[in-house]
Amino acid sequence: MSEFDAIVIGAGPAGASAAIRLASSKKNVLLVEKSDPPGSKNVSGGVLWGSSLSSIIPDWEKSAPVERFVDTKSVAFLTQDSKIGIDFSSKKLQQKKTGYTVLRAKLDQWLARKAKEAGAMVINGVTVEKLHMENGKVTGVEQGGDVITSDAVILCEGANPRVAIDSGLHKRLSDRDVAIGVKEVISLPEATINERFHLKSGAGFACEYVLGYLQNGVEAGGFLYTNKDSISVGIVVSMSHLRQNDATHSFDIIESFTGHPYIAPLLEGGNMQEYSAHLVQEGGIGSMPKLYGNGYMIAGDSAGFSFSNGLVLQGMNYAIDSGIIAADTFIEASKGMDYSESALKLYQDRLESSYVMKDMRTFKGIENVTWSPFVHKKVPAMLESLMLNLFMEEGKPKKHMTGMLLDAMSENDMLKASSIMEAYRMMRRM
Amino acid sequence: MKIEDRLSVLNYKTDKSYAHITVKPDICETCPDHFCTFACPANCYTLIEGKLNFKYEDCVECGTCDVACAHGSVTWTNTKGAHGIKYKFG
Repeated sequence: MSEFDAIVIGAGPAGASAAIRLASSKKNVLLVEKSDPPGSKNVSGGVLWGSSLSSIIPDWEKSAPVERFVDTKSVAFLTQDSKIGIDFSSKKLQQKKTGYTVLRAKLDQWLARKAKEAGAMVINGVTVEKLHMENGKVTGVEQGGDVITSDAVILCEGANPRVAIDSGLHKRLSDRDVAIGVKEVISLPEATINERFHLKSGAGFACEYVLGYLQNGVEAGGFLYTNKDSISVGIVVSMSHLRQNDATHSFDIIESFTGHPYIAPLLEGGNMQEYSAHLVQEGGIGSMPKLYGNGYMIAGDSAGFSFSNGLVLQGMNYAIDSGIIAADTFIEASKGMDYSESALKLYQDRLESSYVMKDMRTFKGIENVTWSPFVHKKVPAMLESLMLNLFMEEGKPKKHMTGMLLDAMSENDMLKASSIMEAYRMMRRM
Repeated sequence: MKIEDRLSVLNYKTDKSYAHITVKPDICETCPDHFCTFACPANCYTLIEGKLNFKYEDCVECGTCDVACAHGSVTWTNTKGAHGIKYKFG
């Protein structure tokens, strides 16, 4: 007889969601978290997209500690001197809120409290050292020589899944699997943020940037999200490009981003409250571990669930939904008291029919687009020269816009057949 | 802003009896790239007179160094007993 029906490792969005769902179905569940309070080692950009929480916490939009709803979503290319961007602001985003900026130390602590309220036992400040195995089946967790047993374990350790790696359930991470995320939280008065970003109270701005000015092959994206009275600003740098460069510090890239002529004024007068770093899942389907086995399932970032097409970065929604699907699979498996690999295959099946795995398959290879010299060098340079040609009035005869576009593309070596093919292949993947 | 100044705003509960990351000095001594010194966002890896110096106390537990070190020097484990970085915002 196990002490718990299920043990969930990690109280982030995936683990807390799994625990809430299990406890709400009267399962005896233990949620183990290494930080205390829960959330105090967790980092996101971060915008929580979608409404995944509604199935476990129906009133979450009112009760969760969210910062602002995204009212203006932008994407922009930055060159040394310029910003070329698209802003999308819409009353439709006010009526149907699709994304909220969040700060994870607050959000995850709230989620863990919700798990407790639902009936889960939540232990903070305890680090699971390894999985307890009996006859090739996961039957609990071990810490400091103590064993806690359960019928199954759901691993939701985040982007750096040590227990799964040390137990041989996840391969060691490599350059192609992850990028480095570095972030600052900068405080500014709420009224200043509203004024600076043209926002009404409660509304927020979220933007992803391509940092087209970085030298010597370094490729990085930037992000800037408004919280209630602070701004989350940061970069995500490709591990493999940084390695090839081997001369640029990851922490200097965020400095060059926050110091950019069109970013610095947005942060002016603010005080840096926190500096943080976190691995970002980037490998897509090729980086995914086997998601289930005898007595275990893997959810959230540990499973490699994330999405980035350069226009939007998502992870928490996949974490929440995969956690819920893992919990539902456990509940289904508990009817036959069968937690074997063949019974838990249902987890994979359910993921496959949900948007979680469908997105992973649809956007297979997207990382080759988001991390390419084409996106990080050619496109920003081409857009800058096109814009300059459009708006530089020098008293000379003008060309049609298509002519200017062709000139700008030609200047940046984009009219070669190989470049056109490259662009076509990329567009298909996005 | 210098990295030291950025790290100075952070809260840690330092575990004085357990280093959750260790390196093997003999491997670092012959390392051709010292990529850890560029990758680590918390500047835990520095070169002092050509010799690698590592301090776990400033670590923010991101896991970057374990991926960055291609030479098998880094042994990475989770902090224990709620030690290590404590974010207020995250």
